[in-house]
Formats: sequence, C-alpha cells, structure tokens
Amino acid sequence: MIGKDKIFSTFEKVAASSKADETEIVFIGNDTGLTRYANSTIHQNVHENNATILFRAVRGKKIGVASTNSLALNDLKATLKNAIEISKYQKDNKHFPGLPGPENYAKIDTYFESTAGFRPNDRARLVKKMFYRSNRRKFTMAGAFATGEGEIAVFNTNGVRCYQQVTGSSLNVIAMSDSSSGYASGMSRDVNNIDPVALADIAVEKAYKAKKPKPLKEGEYEVILEPAAVAEAMEWTNYIAFGSKTFEEKTSFVAHNLGKKIMDESITIYDDGNDLSGIAIPFDFEGVPKKKVVFVDKGVPKGVVYDRISANRMGTKSTGHALPAINSGEGAVALNLFMAPGNKTREEMLKSMDRGILVTRFHYINGFIDTPKAVLTGMTRDGTFWVENGEIKHGIKNLRFTDSIIRAFSNVKGISKDVKLIPSWWDAVGCLAVPAIHLGSFKFTGTTDF
Amino acid sequence: MKDKLANTLDWLKGKSVDYADCRYVRKETESIRVTDGTVDTLNREVNVGVGIRVLYDGAWGFAAIASTKEGDIKKTANKALQIARASATTKKVAVKLAEQEAFKDHYKSKFTKDPFAVPLDEKMGLLLEICDKLKTDDRIKTASGSMDFFKYNKIFCSTEGAVIEQDLLESGGGYEAISYDGNDVQKRSYPNSHRGDFATRGYEFIESLKLLDHVDRVREEAIQLLTAESCPDTIKDIIICGSQMALQVHESCGHPSELDRVLGTEISLAGGSFMQIDGLNKLKYGSDIVNIYADATVEGGLGTFGYDDEGVKAQRAPIIKNGLHVGYQTSRETAPVIGQRSNGTMRADGWNRIPLIRMTNINLEPGTWELKDLIADTDDGIFFDANKSWSIDDQRLNFQFGVECAWEIKKGKLGKMYKNPLYTAMTPKFWNACDAICNKNHWHVWGVPNCGKGEPMQTAHVAHGTSPARFRKIKVGVSK
Repeated sequence: MIGKDKIFSTFEKVAASSKADETEIVFIGNDTGLTRYANSTIHQNVHENNATILFRAVRGKKIGVASTNSLALNDLKATLKNAIEISKYQKDNKHFPGLPGPENYAKIDTYFESTAGFRPNDRARLVKKMFYRSNRRKFTMAGAFATGEGEIAVFNTNGVRCYQQVTGSSLNVIAMSDSSSGYASGMSRDVNNIDPVALADIAVEKAYKAKKPKPLKEGEYEVILEPAAVAEAMEWTNYIAFGSKTFEEKTSFVAHNLGKKIMDESITIYDDGNDLSGIAIPFDFEGVPKKKVVFVDKGVPKGVVYDRISANRMGTKSTGHALPAINSGEGAVALNLFMAPGNKTREEMLKSMDRGILVTRFHYINGFIDTPKAVLTGMTRDGTFWVENGEIKHGIKNLRFTDSIIRAFSNVKGISKDVKLIPSWWDAVGCLAVPAIHLGSFKFTGTTDF
Repeated sequence: MKDKLANTLDWLKGKSVDYADCRYVRKETESIRVTDGTVDTLNREVNVGVGIRVLYDGAWGFAAIASTKEGDIKKTANKALQIARASATTKKVAVKLAEQEAFKDHYKSKFTKDPFAVPLDEKMGLLLEICDKLKTDDRIKTASGSMDFFKYNKIFCSTEGAVIEQDLLESGGGYEAISYDGNDVQKRSYPNSHRGDFATRGYEFIESLKLLDHVDRVREEAIQLLTAESCPDTIKDIIICGSQMALQVHESCGHPSELDRVLGTEISLAGGSFMQIDGLNKLKYGSDIVNIYADATVEGGLGTFGYDDEGVKAQRAPIIKNGLHVGYQTSRETAPVIGQRSNGTMRADGWNRIPLIRMTNINLEPGTWELKDLIADTDDGIFFDANKSWSIDDQRLNFQFGVECAWEIKKGKLGKMYKNPLYTAMTPKFWNACDAICNKNHWHVWGVPNCGKGEPMQTAHVAHGTSPARFRKIKVGVSK
C-alpha cells in the first residue's frame, strides 16, 4: 500500500507542471493473490502487485487520456505530457462540462486487516480443509479463492482529493461426482466472513442430490432461481439496460418503458455504492459521490446511471457512476447492483412449488439477442433439480433457457428474504446483492447431454 | 533487462527450484473510438512489468510486479517461490514438463506501416467521416467506429537457458450503425461486429479493410432490418458467413480442444469439454470435409507469434482431420498426458498473468465451393451474417448463436431479410451436418481480440481462418 499522503503529494508535483486547463489523475492500485484449484489440488497460485495511473488532460472542451503503470516521477510526467499532446489532436466534446470540484463523500470503512494479511499459506490451509469435505463423498473440487488489498484515488486540479483503501475476498467452489456437480460461492471485504468449509458442504450436498440426472423436455416451467442464477441474469440485464449508453442508444428496455408497469410489483432493482452490505466505495472515477439510483421500482422502470458527460448530454446530473477515463466510451455503469428482498425463505418457496425446476446457477448467458425486450439465453449448470409437491425429487440434465427477463419477472410467486452477495462474472470491481426468486413461468428452449 | 532476468533465474537455481521462467512485457496500446461525431475515447497506455513462474517440489507459484528494478524482481521471485511451497501442500502428483529445446532468438512480426506513427488526425478523421456518412438518415440513432493498436516487446528467459525476445504489432478497427424507428432497434456492422476485424499487422491492415466502401450498405441494411420479418421458428438448411463461422469454430472447436480445459482445470469458470481424451482418434467430430488446425504460423493472424509464453516455437497442429478428432492445443505440462510434446499454445495476456492454453489461429480449412454456387445449390434455407449473440454449455455441446441479419434462400436465390435470427444445435451433430465449405477465395483469418479465460480473467487475442459453410437441417429462430 502506498498511502493517501504519498499518492497525493506525488500527484501535486506532477500536476504542478501541467499545461492543461484542468488535469485529472486517477490511481488504481492492487496487491492481490488468487489460489485456483481443480481435481482437488492447487494448480494455479498467483500474486500480482500492480497499479494503473490514468491522466485526463483537458484543454477547453478537448480531452486527452493516457495511462501508465509506473509511479516513477519521470514516467508520470511523461504520461501527463502524452495526455496533453493527445488533447491537441482531439475534437471539442460539446457535452463535456469540465472536471468536477470537491464534494462531501460518505465515510465508510472498506479495509480489513484480516483480509490484507491473508497469505498463500492461509488460502492453501483452508482449501485443503475443503478437499477433506469432498473426499468423504469421493467427489473432487474445483474453484478459486482470492484475497487482496487495493487503493483508489481521484485527484484533480479543481481540488478533488478522493481516497479509499479497500480489501476484498471471494471464493467459488464446485464439487464434482462422476455424473453431477454442485456450486457455492462467497464474497466479502472481510475474509473472516467467508466460511470455506460451509461453502464446500453446500457444493457437496448439491452434487450428491444431483447425481444421475434425468433428462427433461424443453418447455415452459415454474422455476426457483437461487441467488447465483439471479445474479447472472441481473448482470446481463444491467449490461444491456441500466447504463447511460444503452439508454441513449435506445437499445435498453428502460428507454422504451419509463413509467410503465412492466414487471411484478415485487421487483425493485437499484444501485447503491454506499451500502456496506455490497462492495461499497463512496465515489466514482471522476470523484463524484455515488448516489442511489433505482432502475426498477415496484415493477416500473425509473431511470439509469450517468457520468458527467452523459448526464450533461441528457440534461441531468451525474449519479456518480463514471468508469475510468480510459473506458469513457462505454458511458456510466452500475457496479453495486441490488435486488430488493421479499419475505419468504427458500424452503417456503420450495414447499409452494407443485411441479417445477430449481436452478443453482446459469452459464454463459448472453443478452444481445433482442435488447429492447431484454431477451436472455443461457444454460443451467452445477445443480439443476426437478421439484414436485414441494420437494426436490432428483437432479435433471442441464437446460438452455431463452426468455425475456421482463416477461419472466412479470410473473413472480415469491422472493426470498435472504440476500446473497455475488461477485460479478467479468469485472473484478463489480458485485450483485440478490435474493432467490420464484417465477411462475420460465422458457427452456433446449437440452444437453449432461 | 535480459541480464536482470538471468540474474534472477540464477538466484532461483540456487534455491533448488525444479524450473523457473521470467517474462518481461512492455505493452503499448492506442485506442480511438468515435460516436456520433464525438471522439469519446482517445487514449494511449503503457504497461510494463515482470512475471515469474516457479516450479518447486512439483508445484507452481507465480508472482508479478510492475517494476523493472532488479531488487524488485528478485523479491517477486522469492514470493513466487513461497507461493509454490504453499501449492505443494495439496500436491497429488508432481508437475512434469515435456522436453523443450531452449531457443535463443529474436522474432519480429511483419508490418509495413507503424500505426503509432500514423497521425491521430488521419485515424480520427477516417472514423469521423464514416460516422457522418452513416448518420445521413435520421433512422440511424447511433453511429460509432473504433481503432485499436497494440505493440509488445516481450523477453522470455528460463532456467533451461531459453532467451527469446519478441516484438509484435497488432491493428484492428470497424464500425456499427444502430437504427431506431420509434419502435424497434437494430444494428449492422463492418467488417465484423464487436469492434471489427484485427490482425498482427500494421496500419496497412486498416487500409486493406476499405472501411468507407461499405458505409452505404451498412446504413441501408440497418434501416431495412427495422421492418424485416422475424426469423421463423423452424428447421432449415443454413449457410453461415465467414465471420460467424469464426465464432462458431471459436466456441465449438477452439475452446473444447484446449487440453487444460479437457483435464478439468478450467471447470470452475468457463467449464470443461466434451472432447475427452478417450475420444482422441475415435470421436467423429464432423463430416469428412471438416478439417481444423491450430496454426500459429499463418502470416498476419491475430494468433500468430514466434514463440509461446513457455518458449515453444509457433507451429501448425491438426485438431480435426477429415472429421475425426485427432489433436489438442497443448502445453509443456499437459502434452505428456497424451504422450506428446507441447504444440506451443501457452500465452498470458500480460506480464501479470500466468500463461494458459490459448487458441492461436484455429482455422477451418477451405473447401471447394464458390459462395454463389453454394447459394444456388440450396433449395430452402437461410443465410446467416455477422455475430450478435453467443452462448454454449459448460461442456461445449449445446450452443445458440444470434446474428445481426439473415436472408431467406429460396430455390437457389437470396430472398427477404430476417431480423433477430438465431440458430442452435449440439456441436458434433452440427459439424456432422456440414456438407459444403467455400473455397480459398472466400477464406479469411478473422481476428478475435476478446477471448476470455482463467481466474483472474485473461483476455487473449486469437483468430480463425474460415469461409462460409452450409449445414443441413438446423433448428433456427428460437428467440420467441
């Protein structure tokens, strides 16, 4: 960890030589380790110490961006010079409102010594304990256990000085028999909140119950989606619908349905970067405080997230969801997605199902098929079960679904009161806090051999 | 730098490691993206560091540092050693590496025009002109174009004596138009969706794409899609264009023939493979005309290089021969499992990641047909063009692809346009239904710059040489 004082004093020195009208410097540093295991042995075990330092040089309405991963003063000055040089070639961006000034940011604790001090030996010790749990069933295990610390700082010549030190940990595990698999995962800023043995037991139990899966014909079925499955569907829904870019391009279903009730009134989806039950951070990569943004309120689409440029273009204010300037073409993105809980337990939802399917998680979802209708497709995996008369009867072979999430979420039979934090599949900084959900109808359009 | 890496390896040898290698990588990136007349991305990035892989007591450790100071590199080597010791506590079988010649070489990819030396004005100007021309109709809601350039200097040294330097240069670009009529939204792109086409070549590759020549067609087809019929739900003979065939090969042959995935080491994230070892030289993967090679030597392919990140020389290896599954993409650790030496497919997406088995150029060999003859030979079918969506199960069997646009084929002629077209099948059944592949006149190596694998996630630059092909009796149009 470099520390707030050293980062900002270094940036003061670099910015002092800037010939730009405004200068922004963003620091994203990480010191992370990841232990990966398969066939009940550690096969990959890695550590990385890295940083990205991004410069945004502003001349009038022209913006130049350059980045380096070297904190050497000469490299920083050279990168700033490069950003300024690039800005000279830029065209005016008439929607750019300038860099922000300082604001009040929520003071939240996102750093845990327990996680920062976690070592490869600690991860290996716990992973071995997990292997013992699967050995008892003669199953094997695969997964990944990551721990790390990092720093995020946003500096600009208008006086913004945002700094947050963070830790993070996540674990995913698959238990595998000769005919089935089961999955569990955990995520927290404090590694002590992750119980690898308990997660291993959940995965083993699922794999055991799913053994010798039976085939099921494609068609419409009642389903219970467990939190990992909901998170995977929500992650794609977020990507195609809740950002500023898709809203402006009209590819988002939110753009076509603002104020209309299109889902069940139990469905509320929002982003809250200050909620400590998620992976909170109180500011975005422009140094704007994160605001809570409701995407769907009781089944009614309400809006999307914005950064400063997209907000200005749309005649509104930034919600504090800017990405690093190097990704600014993607617009604003929600990184702390929540789905409001219901009032049922998972067991109550199961008991209320006459005939249907329990889905542990999905695989390889894609949502580009027909984005205004939010049509998603994907496969089930790692624990798909046939439920009859309120009981899990047996495992079933995996199925492909192809369905509109709007249609699926318009027929809700129950939502769990427990919410689980799930890491984003494709982005190390994102997370989703979601419940299990019981849907009256879900379209399965294909089958597979396992 | 070579001396610093050599000194570090000497230090590790003194610690009695089984094996170690050091990789220095300097990566320079330039990205330009234009949307509706605004240059919303214009950035340059430099990323430098060293990654060290240590095999100790038969187990792996890896550590990486964003520094080139010898003291930092040695500390990182020690960290890699400590991590390997931790890994060894769960070891069942000691890792053994296939034999490998220790090369000393300097490989440079070929190019004629350095894209980093082309004035920004020229590159931005071309993209702005494209967007302006796409937006000459009010129904084009958004027009965007992009170019990306990558320059690498890589040094690989190992305790076995390898010293390999590589200089690689990659270029790519493309554009898309999103149409909107107050009701529906559609998209068309050129030369391919998802940021265009890429190659291990210089700016001459961008020039060869003749981007401006296709603007009018892209705009008009994007508008035409708004009022096109939806693809029917039925069984049809289908012809798939070259760029979609690239993704078809990628998902249904490239990934499942990675031997690390077959051995289960990727199962927790992206899954396993149906192409198991007991099916090698037995599994009838496709029809007799299907031949697929992993070829890292194709000139200009985005998966072309001199040596992989284990110091194994680039090569051409058969995966599917006359429809039979005959090979895998392998590494020094996995190849001995099938009694072979590595065929050189281990690559990392930077100094800070370990090498994994990654696709090189996974190429479907050209067949004998002219495209016009193939269409004329099809009585009742659909022609699928340009990828829009992709999904496949975790053993790479059940897949579903969506494309931007399709056309009915009736009695040998292209007919009406379809929107939101999908096709779906099981991989071996699909490839065994392949009865025609277009010839080398239609064959092109498509660059795919966004292939994800591993934890932490790595993004590889790979490619696929393909031409249009026909498949009989395939389920289409399952989006409703």
